[in-house]
Formats: sequence, C-alpha cells, structure tokens
Amino acid sequence: MASQDRLNTHLSAVKTSTLEAPRPAPLLRAKNLSVSYGANQVVRDVSFELGRGKSLALIGESGSGKSTIARAVLRLLPDAGHATGHVDFDGQDVLSLPERQFRPLRGRAIGFVPQDPGNSLNPVRTIGVQAMEAAALTDEPNAAVRKALILDTFAQVGLDNPLRVYDSYPHQLSGGMLQRVLIGLAVLPRPALLVADEPTSALDVTIQKRILDLLTRLQHDLDISLLLITHDLAIASERADQLVVLKDGAVQEAGKTSAVFSAPSSAYARKLHADVPALNPERYAGLRNPGFRLLDGAASTPAKIEVKSVTKTFTVDGKALTAVDDVSFAVPAGTTHALVGESGSGKTTTIRLLLGLDEPDIGNISVAGEDLSGRSHKQLRSVWRHLQLVYQNPFTSLDPTWTVERLVREPLDRFKVGTPAERTAQVREALANVGLGDHLLSRKPAALSGGQRQRVAIARSLVLKPDVIVLDEPTSALDVSVQADIVEVLLSLQAKLGLTYVFVSHDLALVRQLAHTVSVMQRGRIVEHGRVTDIFDNPQNAYTATLLESIPSGLSNPSQQAPQRQAVRAERREAFA
Amino acid sequence: MSNAYLTYAAKRLGQAVVVILLAYVFTFVVVSILPGDPITSVLRNPQNGFSEQEIAEIIAAQGLDKPVPVQLWNALSGFLTGDLGMSMRSNRPVSTLIAEVLPSTLILAGAGLAVALVLAMLVAYGTRFVPKKYGQGLLRGFPSLFLSVPNFVIGLVLIHLFGFQLGLFRVINPDSFWATLFAAVALGIPVSAQIAEVLIANLDKEAEQEYATVARSRGIGQLKLFIRHLLKPASLPVVTVIALTIGELLGGSLITETVFGRTGVGSLVQRSVSTQDLPVLQAIVSLGAVVFVLVNLIADLLYPLLDPRVKILGGAKRRPTTTDEPSLGSAKAVNP
Amino acid sequence: MSFVSNSPLSGTANTGRLTALRMPATVALSFAIIAIILAWSLAPQFFTTYSPVVGVPADKFLGPSFSHWFGTDHLGRDLYARVVYGTASSVSSALVAVVIGVLFGGLIGLLAGFLGGWVDVVLARLVDVLLSIPKFLLAVIVVTAIGFETINAAIATGVSAVAFFARVTRSEVIKTRQATFVEASYLSGGSRWYILLRHVLPNASRSVLPLAVLQFGESILIIASLAFLGYGDPPPASDWGLLISIGKDYLKWPWLVYAPAFVTIVTVLSVNRISRWLRKTD
Repeated sequence: MASQDRLNTHLSAVKTSTLEAPRPAPLLRAKNLSVSYGANQVVRDVSFELGRGKSLALIGESGSGKSTIARAVLRLLPDAGHATGHVDFDGQDVLSLPERQFRPLRGRAIGFVPQDPGNSLNPVRTIGVQAMEAAALTDEPNAAVRKALILDTFAQVGLDNPLRVYDSYPHQLSGGMLQRVLIGLAVLPRPALLVADEPTSALDVTIQKRILDLLTRLQHDLDISLLLITHDLAIASERADQLVVLKDGAVQEAGKTSAVFSAPSSAYARKLHADVPALNPERYAGLRNPGFRLLDGAASTPAKIEVKSVTKTFTVDGKALTAVDDVSFAVPAGTTHALVGESGSGKTTTIRLLLGLDEPDIGNISVAGEDLSGRSHKQLRSVWRHLQLVYQNPFTSLDPTWTVERLVREPLDRFKVGTPAERTAQVREALANVGLGDHLLSRKPAALSGGQRQRVAIARSLVLKPDVIVLDEPTSALDVSVQADIVEVLLSLQAKLGLTYVFVSHDLALVRQLAHTVSVMQRGRIVEHGRVTDIFDNPQNAYTATLLESIPSGLSNPSQQAPQRQAVRAERREAFA
Repeated sequence: MSNAYLTYAAKRLGQAVVVILLAYVFTFVVVSILPGDPITSVLRNPQNGFSEQEIAEIIAAQGLDKPVPVQLWNALSGFLTGDLGMSMRSNRPVSTLIAEVLPSTLILAGAGLAVALVLAMLVAYGTRFVPKKYGQGLLRGFPSLFLSVPNFVIGLVLIHLFGFQLGLFRVINPDSFWATLFAAVALGIPVSAQIAEVLIANLDKEAEQEYATVARSRGIGQLKLFIRHLLKPASLPVVTVIALTIGELLGGSLITETVFGRTGVGSLVQRSVSTQDLPVLQAIVSLGAVVFVLVNLIADLLYPLLDPRVKILGGAKRRPTTTDEPSLGSAKAVNP
Repeated sequence: MSFVSNSPLSGTANTGRLTALRMPATVALSFAIIAIILAWSLAPQFFTTYSPVVGVPADKFLGPSFSHWFGTDHLGRDLYARVVYGTASSVSSALVAVVIGVLFGGLIGLLAGFLGGWVDVVLARLVDVLLSIPKFLLAVIVVTAIGFETINAAIATGVSAVAFFARVTRSEVIKTRQATFVEASYLSGGSRWYILLRHVLPNASRSVLPLAVLQFGESILIIASLAFLGYGDPPPASDWGLLISIGKDYLKWPWLVYAPAFVTIVTVLSVNRISRWLRKTD
C-alpha cells in the first residue's frame, strides 16, 4: 500500500510541476536548421516554433527530410549526419550542448515514438526490461513502485493485460500492441515534448485511428507538446494545431492548420492537398463514369470474372487456418471491383486463387468464361494471356538485372506474340500508354524512381493487351503525388481500352474514388459487398462502418477543437490547484 | 524442454549420426578408389625394403585382397565398435597411436580457441568504445588483415621475434610454457579474425537497428546501450560461428605443430602422409569429422535455448513470422 | 529514417551508374597490385634479369639492397626473381581451385535449390558430409591420394571448397526463386527452366561472384600451406608457400621468410578488398 501511495504522489507531483510552469517562450524552436550527410544536404534552413501543450506536424513525402528533423531534435542522427543552425528546447540550444548534458533530456524531457513498432524494441529482451529503462528516468528509487508505474501506464495506453505484456518478448505481441507499449514508454517519464515519427504508417487503418486517438488523448491529459512527423496531410490536419509542409528538405509552407489546410498558398501544398484521396472524393469522377454506365447495363452482359463460394484452408504450424471462407463475387467487364480489408483478411489469398497460383479447396473461379480449376501450368498460360497482375511493390517485382525493354517485352516473347519487330513496337506503345518515354528502354530498375518502376510494371501487364488486370495495392509503396499519377494512368487506360480491374487495397478513400463495386473482407469472409456509392454512403455492416470511420478526413472545422482543449486544461489546473 | 524441442533434438542427432557415417565412407572412398593405388606403390618402394612375402602378409592383414565393398563393410563396422585398424608402418593399433598424441593437440587447440575468443571479443567490443580518432580503424582492420596472413607465417614471425630476437623460448624445447603459449597465439589469431569479423558486423548491424535508436531516445548512454542491448543479440549468432571454426582449429594445429616442432595429431598426420600410412590418415580425418559434427550439434541444440527469437516449430528451427498467410510474390508457384 | 528510405526513390535515378564506377582509393590500389601480380605470372622475364634457378654461390645470404630487392638465398639466388617466377604457379593453381569449387559447388547448389524435393535432400546431405570434414584435412587427404604436385594441391583445395559454394548457391537460388519478379515472370508465361536460366541464375551469380573472388584469396593461402608442408612441386620450383618453407630453416636471415610472406599477404589483402567492394556495390 505504501508503494501505491508513492505512486500516486509521483504521478501528481510530476503533473503539477509541469502545469504550474509559466509559459511565455515556445518549448521548441528550430531556427535555420540544416542537416547534411557529407555533401548531401537533406534539410535546408528549416525554422519552426512549437508552444507548450501544442502540436505541430511536419508533413512531406519521402526525401522531404521530415524524419531527419525529428532525429536532429533528439540528436539521434547517424554518425555521418551533421546538423547546423539552432534547435532551442526549453531555452537550451540542443545542438551545441555536449552529449553529457543533453543525454538527461532524452526520455525525461523529450520522448520519442518511432515509425515501425516491429523493429523498435530489442527482440532478445523482454518488454519489462526495456520498460524499466523508461521507468528509471522517473528517479523513483523503489523498484516495486517503478514496476507498478509501468503496469499503470500500460493500462493507460489501452493494453488489456499489462502483466502479460510486461513479461512478453516483442515478437509475441502484435504491431498495434507494440506501438501502444512504445507510446507508453515514451510518456511514462512525463516528457514535455513528444516526437512521433510516422507513428501509425506501419499499422492497419482501424488500429491507426485508435493509436492516433490515444496520442491525442495523452497529449491533452498530460499536457505534452507533440511534434508529429507524417506523410499524410489528412492525419496531420486532424491532429495538429500547426502545419509545416516540407519538400526536398526545405519548408514550402507553414502556419495554422486551418489556414494551410483550407487555403494552401504554395503550389506544392496545393498539389499535396489535391492528391490526397480522402480530401478529394470526386477527383477522378470523369474518368470513372464509363464504368458506372457499363454497370447499369450489366444485367445483359456476362461477368468477366466469377468467383463462386471459394474456400481455401492453410495449415500453419499444425493449425488449420481458413484464409478464404466461402467467398463469391462477380465483376462485369470494363468495371473495377475492389477487395478491401486489413492485413490477414484473406484478400491476398483471394487473388492468388483468382490467378491460379493456388487452388481453392472448394468452389469455382472463371475468368472470361474459362474455368480455372484443375489446370496445369501449360493450361494456365492461356488464362494469363488475358489476365495479368500488377504487384504492390515495384522494388521487388522487376528483375534488377534486366533492362526496361527486356522486362516489358518478356510476356510478348514468352507468348510468342507477333514478329520481333512488332514486339518492339508494342513495347514502345505500352510504355507510351503509361507515360514513359523511349529513353528509358535501356535503363535497369535501379536507375528508375519508384513511380517509374510501377509504370514499367503496369506496362508489362498491359503489353499482352489482357482483358483483366489484378492490381495488388499498386500504390501503397509510393508517395501520394506519385499515387495520384498512377491512378490517373490506370483510369484513363480503363476508359481507353475497356479493361476490367480487380483492385486490392486497404485504402478506402482510394477505393471510393476509383472502384465501381466493392467487397469488404474480414477474417476470410466477405462481410459486405455492392456498389461503392451504396456501401460507402450507407454501410450495413458494423466492420465496414468502423473502416469508414477510420479514414482520416482532415479537420473540417479546426477551430471547434481548440476551445474544447483549453477547457480541459483549465479543468485540470483547477483540479490540482 | 518442450516436445517440439525434443523432436528437433532427436532429428538433429539422427542427422549428425548419418553425416558422421557418410563422412567415414567418403574418406574411405577417397583413399581406396582414387587412381594411383598409393598403398602397394609405397609397399613396393625398394627404399622401404619389404620382401614380397611381407607385402603379401601386410596386404592380407589389412584385408586389401578383398573386394572394396567388403573392405568398406569391415572398416565401417570396425569404426562403429571403436576399432580403427592397424597402422601399416608401425604395426600398432591406430587408436593407440592417436591416443599418444591427442593430449598435446587438445591442449594446443583448447589454448588456441581461448586465445581466439579473448582476442576476438577485445577487438570487436573495442570497436564500440575506441573513438574513430584513436585507432578504431586499426581494430576494424584486424579481421581482414589476419584473414590474409597464412597461419604458418604468424608462427614463423613469433618464433623469429620472440624465440630468436628476444630469446623468450627455445624452439628446440617445444613443451615449455612460452612455446605452447606462442603456438596457441599463432593458431588462435586467424581463428579470432574470423570470429571478430562476424562479431563486428553483427554489432554494427544491431547498432543500426531502430530499437537501438529508440533505446537511446530513453536517455541511455553508449555503455548501457552496449551491455543491455547490443551485446546479446550480436554475440548469440557467434555461437554457431565458433562451432564452425573448430575445423579451422583442427587444420591449423596441423600446421602450427609443424612450425613449432611439436608432437601431436598434426605431426602424426605429417608422418602418415609422408609414409602413405592410409589407415592412420583415414582415422584422423574421420575423427576430425566426428568432433566437428558433435560440436556443431551442440551449438545447434543450444542456440534455440539461448535466443528467444528462434522458435522450434514442427521439428525444425525457424524464426517466427508475422504473416500467417502466404503473400503474393512468395513464388511457391514455380514449384507447384 | 526518411533519408535512408528515400535513396532508392530519388537519389539513384541519375547517379546509379556513376556510383557503380566510383571506387575508393584502396580498391584502386588493390586492382593495381593484382594487375602487377598477373603481369608477373604471365611474363616474369620482363620484371627481373636474374635467374630463379641458377645462383651465384659467392652472393649467398645478401640482405635486401638495390641490386637484390628481396636479398639472396642460401644458394646465392635472387629472391625477388624466385618470387616473380613462382607467381605463375601460385596464381594459376589458386584459379584452378576457384574454378573447381565454383563450378561443381554452383551446379550442386543450383540443382538442389531449384529442383527441391528429394534431389535437394540428397544433395544437402552430400554437402553436409563434405562440410563436416575439416577443410584443410580434406585437402591433405585428397592430395595424399592423388599425389604431391602443385596442380593436385590445387584440385584438393578446389574439392574442399565445393561444399561451401554448393551451400551458398543453394541459399541464393532459393532466395531468388522466392523473389516477386520470378513469380511475375511465371505469370508472363515463363517456364521453369527459362526462369532458372534467365532470372534465377543471373541474380544468384551476382552474389556468388564476390565470394568466388574471396575464395581466390583463400585458395592462395591453402595452397601455400600445402606447399609449406611439402605437398606441392618440390624445389627448384618457387611457389610462395615453398619459398617461405625453405626460408624457415634460415631464420637468421629473416628476409627469406618475410619477403615471400609479404607478397602473399599483400596479394590476398588486395583480393579480399576487391571482394568486399564487389559485395557492397552489388
């Protein structure tokens, strides 16, 4: 009981001390911050201010330098990184402090929430051992109290069984749980500033929302300042008071969220805003309309793809796992059908079955009238002549030793389409269709950007002039601006060539924009299916509704939260007075 | 001790026995099938002065007049019951010959391994603490340098510097403490280079992991980061590497014994090679395989107990995966 | 970490080819050393006027000087000339060893990794057996069985490397076989053997190349050890290992050991440096 009392005193003591501090100067101020790796400057002259208890989001695509800034603030840059300029934290210049004087600030005053929870805890130590490191920062002498403090924090971040988590190794917990642990460890010593580097980008959408809610709640409850690093404009505008938009290491635009979000002044911020699917539901409407018209007349034409009550069970570690459970759907020619679900929902297995890469235990699949079941590789080839796939990750789906021309030409050579001269012409045509010039023909994948690689992958699947293309999260490995380009290419090709797409995605905002029909999958089953417009506007299933709610939509009315937040703070101050 | 672990252990043990037996068969095949018939050519060498009758007796005693499969069967059953046959030169049991020289070699190899481990740890762990400007580069260069030096050269340099120039030990009397120590150093340095190379690479890899950065974000200093976080994950895989260097130690002791003029298994190999005493050679090579296989078996059985990342599932060792359904592009397709 | 993750996206577009050719000074130096060594082995007569076999007895045991860079030996022969003339044998035997190891090991690994099933099981056991015999002992017993000659020492060294290359190639082939681009080629209508030759082999060999280079250095060391024990060509041959072996009997005149040892070490160091560079630029 004595230890419980000390725990309570500890908690309240920390809170009051931070709350009673006067707050004239900003807590964190970066001034002309630049970071370079050798001759390569990745952050240029960046300045921003973050007030106490406020939140600020650094937004940018890959290569914008946003994570580098986070690490510079914590002085955790790799050895080769060199930072110049000023970062003032609580009146001290972080960059010029000797390591010995700065180290006590880490964890105690500045907490850090990393991007990838799966790699952010030591795999050969228990969670408890690592939590004790965070607890040691509270200067609480009694080990039992420290442990109680940890368990208390675990409960606070929504972990159901704190003791079990304490004794676990990282690999025994899910990504969402690990991120809760990491957030818990970061806030446990009650830092004044929390730096969160893409805290949810490795997680599923529904978990993403819960983790962000947790961060926001803790930020208000504990009166912590939040420096949020994200690539997602919608998330940033939902969660931050201030936005700083970065590109190639330089600030493009900065200011209050409401101002930057609703009326971006810089060209880049405007493009960023326009490219986020969640914020622009009607962006591709014109390109998609032909499909809807086909759908209205669909009753007369037979479906291009028919999947009928398909079930597939795998044996994993001696246990049977039903990856796909009685799944049926049909896709009319010339339209896009989306398979939506979180990881483990069975959508990937479904398309493996659809492509004939695995055989279903029960059920039938037919593509363009051809039944897939019981076919050998040779017989499947005639199906693949009309059915192609675009992979999620263009960094692994292209043979690194081949040139672009060979890569795109491979299907033509394998299926012996036309004469060699015709094939050369077709390769060029396919590349032109995806907006790539002939000068790339002799390049190898390593010499292409991510967007260019995915275009090459699309060209490869187009070159056979197939009827159906399966798109497995074709843009999830790419930046939003690149994603917008790829989506435009896909939709205009559909309008031009009458292609049928099966589109697999976890991004509901994107699905809403480009699909015509949708199946929502959960634990191997289709829980809801129908027209995109019907399902998104009026979901019947609870899971679908949760998924839809998890889409970050940006702050429609940013001013409405601010007063509410101040009220909470005032209440707390009274409570501790 | 879970059931899965016991299954795994039994499976690995069975594999080890099979490999040892096959290794014996392999060496037998190498010495008896390869062209040149070294046995009779040695016996008939006039310098050795065997009469035709003696040759016939030796051939009969060794069973060389029988068909090869019968010879193999006899040799294999002898090997299994611990009978390694007779030396062709000295007419004494091979097991006695080996037993005489084994202790000296075990002492040398043990001391060599100790030197290798201590040196490798000093060098590798040193790279974490010696700053760049005070010679961290020298420590990092250690493995690549000593992986490029023939091990007999290290021995000769030590003898030249400490034996001849400083007179610390007499090369003539190889049983002195100093002579044994320097022989162990000569044997251990190339092995330590191998271990240090892996250890340094592991430490660098672990230090770059996100969890190390996150741990530092909790205000941990370099020393605590090293002891609490990097040491264990970086050192654990080295258990397997050490087991693999056992072969290096055995081969290296052969050369080191020659350089330092010591008697031991190495010098016995040398003598048997020059006199083409094949039963002795075959016994030593097979015993080398036995030692190597057993040490690696122990390492394999130990490793899952030490590293929580490795799980035993279905009788096989594997790292736990997070995906429980096959993904696209895992290409089971190519071998349907 | 955005710096790290962004590099394949933006940085490499223009610089990919340049960085592939840009090499550190130590690597350039290593290539220069290997070029000299190769020149020694191809045309030793251009590098020295002394004979490697006939000496001047009056000039025996001379220390290193301008006229005798590495000094002279117990028969008054110029040691530098002996090293230069011994290069051809040391280098070519190491090459033979590498070729044997890579060809046989690579073939075993390729078949085991690609065919899988019982072929893999049988070949994997065979490789286990070869691996279980300590490398140097294996080389010794093979060279004993086929006779004491440098070329046989090279064959023995090659045999002892087969298992290693089989294992590496097998794991590379399995890794490549599971690559997404292999499945993509399969969906593009590629047959198994087509995929093996056009996708798996080029990618797997890309990671085997640096190891083959590394094995070249190691072969030089093993063959030198075999020569040191007297399992190679006898004198007046002048393989590097044999020179060191002769020198050890004359430790009063230490250059007889240090000079050939220095050449061996510098050569192997250069080879290893090149191998490491190849692995990194891959």
